[in-house]
Amino acid sequence: MSISRYWLTRSGDESKNFEWHAVASWTWNAQDETCGICRMAFDGCCPDCKLPGDDCPLIWGACNHAFHLHCILKWVNAQTSQAHCPMCRREWQFKG
Amino acid sequence: MEESGSILCDLGALDSLSDDEIQEILNIYAQFCAATEALLNDTGNLSLRSEFVAHVQSLCKHGLESLVLNHFLRALEENFETNGAMEFWGHFDAYQNIALLNTCNQPHSDEEVREVLCKALEEVSLKKKCQEEFLSILVHVLQSYKYDVMEKGRQYDAETEVVRVFAKYQLLVSSVLMATLPRHFPDLLHWYFKGKLEELSVVMAGELNGDYESQCKDDMDLDGKGRISSKSGQRDFHESYQLEKFSNIHQLVKNIGKVVLDLRSLGFTSMAEDAYASAIFSLLKAKVDYLAGDDYRSSVLEPIKEWIRAVPLHFLHSLLAYLGNSADNSSPLLSLKSSLAPHASSFNSGVDTPEGLIRWQSRLEYFAYETLQDLRIAKLFEIIVDYPDSSPAIEDLKQCLEYTGQHSKLVESFISALRYRLLTAGASTNDILHQYVSTIKALRTIDSAGVFLEAVGEPIREYLRGRKDTIKCIVTMLTDGTGGNSNVSGNTGASLLEELNRDEDGQENVGLDDDFHTDDKQAWMNASRWEPDPVEADPLKGGRTRRKVDILGMLVSIIGSKDQLVNEYRVMLAEKLLNKSDYDIDSEIRTLELLKIHFGESSMQKCEIMLNDLIDSKRTNSNIKATIKVPSQTVDLKESTISMNDFDATILSSNFWPPIQDENLNLPASVDHLLTDYAQRFHEIKTPRKLQWKRNLGTVKLELQFEDREVQFTVAPVHAVIIMQFQHQKSWSAKSLAAAIGLPVDVLSRRINFWVNKGILTESRAADSTDHVYVLIENMIDTSKNVSNNGNNEDLMVGEDEGEGSVASVEDQIRKEMTIYEKFILGMLTNFGSMALDRIHNTLKMFCVADPSYDKSIQQLQSFLSGLVSEEKLELRDGMYLLKK
Repeated sequence: MSISRYWLTRSGDESKNFEWHAVASWTWNAQDETCGICRMAFDGCCPDCKLPGDDCPLIWGACNHAFHLHCILKWVNAQTSQAHCPMCRREWQFKG
Repeated sequence: MEESGSILCDLGALDSLSDDEIQEILNIYAQFCAATEALLNDTGNLSLRSEFVAHVQSLCKHGLESLVLNHFLRALEENFETNGAMEFWGHFDAYQNIALLNTCNQPHSDEEVREVLCKALEEVSLKKKCQEEFLSILVHVLQSYKYDVMEKGRQYDAETEVVRVFAKYQLLVSSVLMATLPRHFPDLLHWYFKGKLEELSVVMAGELNGDYESQCKDDMDLDGKGRISSKSGQRDFHESYQLEKFSNIHQLVKNIGKVVLDLRSLGFTSMAEDAYASAIFSLLKAKVDYLAGDDYRSSVLEPIKEWIRAVPLHFLHSLLAYLGNSADNSSPLLSLKSSLAPHASSFNSGVDTPEGLIRWQSRLEYFAYETLQDLRIAKLFEIIVDYPDSSPAIEDLKQCLEYTGQHSKLVESFISALRYRLLTAGASTNDILHQYVSTIKALRTIDSAGVFLEAVGEPIREYLRGRKDTIKCIVTMLTDGTGGNSNVSGNTGASLLEELNRDEDGQENVGLDDDFHTDDKQAWMNASRWEPDPVEADPLKGGRTRRKVDILGMLVSIIGSKDQLVNEYRVMLAEKLLNKSDYDIDSEIRTLELLKIHFGESSMQKCEIMLNDLIDSKRTNSNIKATIKVPSQTVDLKESTISMNDFDATILSSNFWPPIQDENLNLPASVDHLLTDYAQRFHEIKTPRKLQWKRNLGTVKLELQFEDREVQFTVAPVHAVIIMQFQHQKSWSAKSLAAAIGLPVDVLSRRINFWVNKGILTESRAADSTDHVYVLIENMIDTSKNVSNNGNNEDLMVGEDEGEGSVASVEDQIRKEMTIYEKFILGMLTNFGSMALDRIHNTLKMFCVADPSYDKSIQQLQSFLSGLVSEEKLELRDGMYLLKK
């Protein structure tokens, strides 16, 4: 017995005889589970968003703390003077 | 009694009579008696009459009028009894079992019986007429004598006297006939009228085809005279054969009318009426039965009404007209002869005013409504089974019920039909649900207020709540138009989803209609159809959307809450999406959009994200495959390698998917390599996101090439991995194979059954009795059992024969969520000893408010507790839960 590849078909047509459809899940690979601001999962989305992933990205600060982009932007804009990281009170700077 | 009165008066005179006079009177009386006898027995001899008259006159002179009259009447009675009645009934002796003749084929021909009846009636009428004549002679003589006597005195009311005498005679005749009435005579009459009416309806049915039909309808609104004139007008422009038909009808009606008239004159008014009324009703019933039949696809009410108007009413009209005319023509006494029939007079007067006819019409129509209603109610279950097709029948039933108001009959009969035929263990949940939906739709037509629907629906809902697969079936109905379940019977075509779509379409149409159709009639109809919205109605939604929310709402009310339904849908959707080998989700998107309308956007949020994942995956997938670096292909070009071209991936936002069963699996190196490359590329494109493979999920399409055949399969990765191991080694022991794949042995043996069942592998016991050996069957001829499987395996889906999906079922989820509370419950029971179900439920609700708050239903708690009981952690005694010691 052998498992044929599509170029092995006798009839010579191009129909694929072998297809592998795999399933994966994505993750932001943040160290923490949930956003420190909105307490929602990083792999979910912030309260203002409907769709996770590209539409609601994560952002890391220089202090290596991650937040939903929308959450931290809101926080930063709400601060009158220099914004600090909500987690470690260090000066907030976007990483890289 | 009158006799004694007159004798009392004459008592004084009696004394003054001489013997001679007495002798003379006796002589004359004897002669009178003889004359009477002779007169009655021998007709036509005029000399007898004059003799008779002379005797009467002489008796009158002696003041014996009443005696004369009484004797004569008695003589008439005796004579009629011996001659008339006996003869009359003698005609019918041959038809004693006429009632039986109705059913079986009659030994006597219809015509014969009819002729006998007509002849007998004619004879007896003749006899009666003859006697009446004699009576009138007598009365005349008496009158003239009295007139002479009274002339000098007060006014004498001759007219009433005559009427009284004739009424007495009439009564006499009737009572003689009634007293000797054979039991079968009413049946005979009924049968006669029925036969005649059938004949008539056949003739008239032919006529119905012409334009006469419409004319006939119009005629009914006019009064009798107008009708007759229009009939005669019609005669002009109808062809000769129509004319013939018309005269046929006329002749028939005349015949019947004559019989009725004869019967009436004999005092059988009410019997005759009963007979033709019952004949008409039985004919009508037969007609309704015939028209209604078992076909529910067409409305029968209108044809029935038409028929009523065309045949029985036409007949009655003609009959009443005929009777009325002849009544006018004959004696004015007729109206008095109807003393046995209290409402006969209304028929006589009904000739000119159609009042009697109208009464007949409403009587007939009510009977038709009731008959049809009973028929339809008895068959309501079947009608509802093929509901959309049978809507004309439902419409009929609605009209009937409006007329008769016997809704409760419907409810009772339908509920018992449901109990007997639907709510049984043998009926599949799907069928019950379909019937429920059809019932809702059908009964909504009949009763828009939903009162009876509520009563009828309750047993179904109650029953469905007791079934475990109800939610699943509802969701399937909602999502799957074609009925993916093979065990669903054929009528899934009318799935709920289609129903939703149709509602949607219908709505749009209605909306358009409203915009364009602004004529007053339409507006008025709309206005008259208006109904107040239910109290709990959301004013933000248009009144019209509620129509379809109704059905869904009623289905949701079976389940209990919308969330449960949505959750079940999500699990099913996940299952479906994970098993897709392409990214084609058009139908799912459509379904979701519809569900969003019904359940609100927020509750369908997660499902939307799931679909969105599929769309994103498609884009990402092509992006990755287009940009991936080639080296992976150059690594090894062995035959069994697969390239990136053969590979696709679905990427999930796992937070929004139902919990996914994770199973470790060692993939073949070539595949594993691909996965790594793919994940690497993904990470490059979507930094800092990473992929985590669910190795056990997905689908693999492969073709197995044997020496003598090729078989295609679409399988789960596990199955693919297993079979790929057999590519280079034909035989594996279970233990070594499990180790190679990375599965526990028991899981492997379960999974490998797939291939064993397909006849690709065989299982045999190894020398080491704890192990099994699987061997690849290279040659088909070796095994004959799998012939039927050959070739058509393409449609076999993943995990089908194992009954376990890649997604945890709702029950599993709940069980998992409940385990959090296990500690609480155990603690509670340690403190309190034993607790009842609802107390545990309430306590949990009170104390478990924080993260995660207790939001389970009491049923869910109960099933969890019974799980704990079966695990022997708890004990259930008299409805109380306690810790197992």
